[in-house]
Amino acid sequence: MDSLVNIAPEDWLLMHGPKKRLVSKYHWHSPKVGIVASYTPTEHDVEDHFNIFRGVDQIESFAQASVVSMGGFLECEKMGITQQQMSEILVPAFISIGNVNFRSYLEKGQTFVNIGFIKSYKFRQMACDGRIYKVPQGLDLDEYFKDFTEERLLAYDLSSDFVLIAELFDITGRGLKKEKFNTLS
Amino acid sequence: MERQEIIDGIVEVLKTVRTIDPEKLHNITEETDFLTDLNTPSTELINIAAKVEQKFDVEFEDDDIDNLGSKVKDIVDLIIRAKERAE
Repeated sequence: MDSLVNIAPEDWLLMHGPKKRLVSKYHWHSPKVGIVASYTPTEHDVEDHFNIFRGVDQIESFAQASVVSMGGFLECEKMGITQQQMSEILVPAFISIGNVNFRSYLEKGQTFVNIGFIKSYKFRQMACDGRIYKVPQGLDLDEYFKDFTEERLLAYDLSSDFVLIAELFDITGRGLKKEKFNTLS
Repeated sequence: MERQEIIDGIVEVLKTVRTIDPEKLHNITEETDFLTDLNTPSTELINIAAKVEQKFDVEFEDDDIDNLGSKVKDIVDLIIRAKERAE
């Protein structure tokens, strides 16, 4: 497997139940550099919150798309195992946030992309920076990001009709040994 | 390499970590705990381990870090083990 593109998030390491899985699709992925993944808030996501997708869920979505998905991918590569085998050894966990600036908001049904890049990756711990953008209505994201590049990712080079929603810094995740993770409860 | 020499080297590394109060570095012993005595964020321990690798010219495995305790003596022991492994 070269990347997460064409892999369904639910088939990867996002083992959450469907109500807590906040990534719908991977559109672009360069394993040592970064990722573009989308999500569209549902009725359930905005319930009791003024029809607005919560800021904490934006961060969760970004973490699932970046450190959890990409960290898991690189661990599988490094250990030479499948994600199924890895899920028996490690739990990919979202463990820390540096800083987040919210610039706008998202309503139910408004698709957004998480654009994340790897700042550091060492000893199963990955830190990512990135941004969340609201996607122009009706845009075919697979087609749009088909020829995306690492340079464009790092420059957030998107057309002007993408709307900046949030900037995220030092979102950190770590592959925790399952036996250790189970002692945390 | 003597254990005290290693501790002195670790203190030099810790001086470069902005999340650690330099005032707390005056009385570092083997029993000093990174989490409870130095209030080091757990995510920072990875960065410290990476800096210690460079400082002592050793290489740690992922499993070494998974199993690492939070006291200074734990990292001293790990440096000694990593040096022995490399010989």
